[in-house]
Amino acid sequence: MNALDTRSTNSVPGSGLKVESLRFAYNGTPVLLDINLAIAEGEFVCLLGPSGCGKTTLLRLLAGLETLSSGNLSWKGQPITGPSLDRGVVFQDYSLFPWMSLINNITLALAKSHPETDKKWRLNLAEEFLEMVGLADAARKHPFELSGGMQQRVAIARTLALGSPVLLMDEPFGALDPVNRARLQDLVLDVWSNASPRKTVVFVTHDIEESLYLADRVIMLGSSPGRIIQELRVPFARPRLRRTLAGSPEFQALQEQIAERFRQDTLQRIEAESVVNGDAEGI
Amino acid sequence: MKAILAESRITSSTNVPTATRLLVKQTAKPSGVRRNFWLRLQGKEGALFLFGIVLLWQFVSSSIHFAGAYLFPSPVVTLKALWVSLPELLKGTWSSLIVLVPGYMLAVVTGIVWGLLVGTIPWVSRMFSPFARFASPVPPTIYIPYAIALLPTFRTAAGFVVFVGAFWPIFLNTAAGAASLPQRYRDNARILGLKRTEYLWRIVFPASLPHIFSGMSVGLVFSFIMLTVAELFGASAGLGRFVQLYADYADYPRMVAGILYTGAVVLVTMELLEQIKRRALFWVK
Repeated sequence: MNALDTRSTNSVPGSGLKVESLRFAYNGTPVLLDINLAIAEGEFVCLLGPSGCGKTTLLRLLAGLETLSSGNLSWKGQPITGPSLDRGVVFQDYSLFPWMSLINNITLALAKSHPETDKKWRLNLAEEFLEMVGLADAARKHPFELSGGMQQRVAIARTLALGSPVLLMDEPFGALDPVNRARLQDLVLDVWSNASPRKTVVFVTHDIEESLYLADRVIMLGSSPGRIIQELRVPFARPRLRRTLAGSPEFQALQEQIAERFRQDTLQRIEAESVVNGDAEGI
Repeated sequence: MKAILAESRITSSTNVPTATRLLVKQTAKPSGVRRNFWLRLQGKEGALFLFGIVLLWQFVSSSIHFAGAYLFPSPVVTLKALWVSLPELLKGTWSSLIVLVPGYMLAVVTGIVWGLLVGTIPWVSRMFSPFARFASPVPPTIYIPYAIALLPTFRTAAGFVVFVGAFWPIFLNTAAGAASLPQRYRDNARILGLKRTEYLWRIVFPASLPHIFSGMSVGLVFSFIMLTVAELFGASAGLGRFVQLYADYADYPRMVAGILYTGAVVLVTMELLEQIKRRALFWVK
């Protein structure tokens, strides 16, 4: 199996998300170094890496919540200079406003994506979005009355209500138990594959299995400073069945390959550090 | 006032179990009767304490026999005076409240709006903060004589000092709350593309409500202080005026009744604010 060698994808100029020689430093410390990435429209990409590798920062840069130090960042050829309704975000800690009922959290998004409509129409549509994530009955409840998994469902519904063609998800299921996590993964896959045109999804995770289950392509990031160490096209056909997939030797081999690549990166870094320290001892 | 009550409740409730343990030790056998007696008192410590104070008051006022004894009217005498002066006190409450409520409400509105702006817009903060640092610690009572001299009527002067007394705590708390808005709310608002007014009204304002309400409680206490002090200076009616008047006439039962009544009015008003706060902050865990 040679999946690890797959190079970057079809890059039609002026389409999709494009990251070119991006650098981001925080207080002089480089966080991300020389990131090059082209994500096609409709593609599902996972940013995979250990904590501290800058994957969240990269997502926030794509969202327009941070300003890059140098390089280029664009969506459909337009440079990304700030947040836009083109790119909806689901954060790890729940993105809802706790003082608003679920339905008001969603109508707030609808008021932005459909500014010409009246309130009643928005309420109806908001209910449909809640129904889509299975929470129509809880419309008048407030976030604190819901479990973490339910809150993330609503956060996903709200991002859908924004109507963004790009979904940016920052470890959205990191705090969930395995059952809820699996359900929400399936929900995201449903949403992604049922939308026409397909949404472009950038999904940040540190869970190898999750990335292999969800993504068309996995971008592996190494840490200190964050940089892309490998790209990998996920070869499994869709729809993917969790049980058969997890049991298959290909899946396990790929999982092991990825883990091995991260181990290598860690070892290299430790060696590099000890070389530096060794020099220091010599002086 | 409320804090003191709460505190007394805490100390007495922690004392009772200790006392129970001591008793159990002393009797050295499981004496269920005694234990039950102390257990039954749990949760009633506050009421018992108040009852104890009234008893002490009764005892002191009935056992003092010196020249100044008339300064200590007994609870019964005071209660009678309270009953007799109730119409006057109600009228006084009205004339106090029509000064206090507008002054306080104005402070609430301006304190919140200005606090939200100062807490979210850097240049407004840079402009206003030096002045606020200078002006906010000035004890507002110091303005009373000048306000009375400057403003046309006593009511406007008293309303003004009530406003000043309540404004600073409300403004400072709101600004602090707005400035400490959790980043995730800010990020979400930016993702949704909220405009500045929407952002202030629908995000920053509700997120700052816990701070705003603590400012409003402190502000309310301040307004009562400012009002009653101002009334001592030159009112023709009102609660502070009532107390001052009967002190001048050496009618101490009525004066003490006025003090107790004022305490009750403040307590009820604070409780009202507390109820509003509980409703508004239902989402805070």
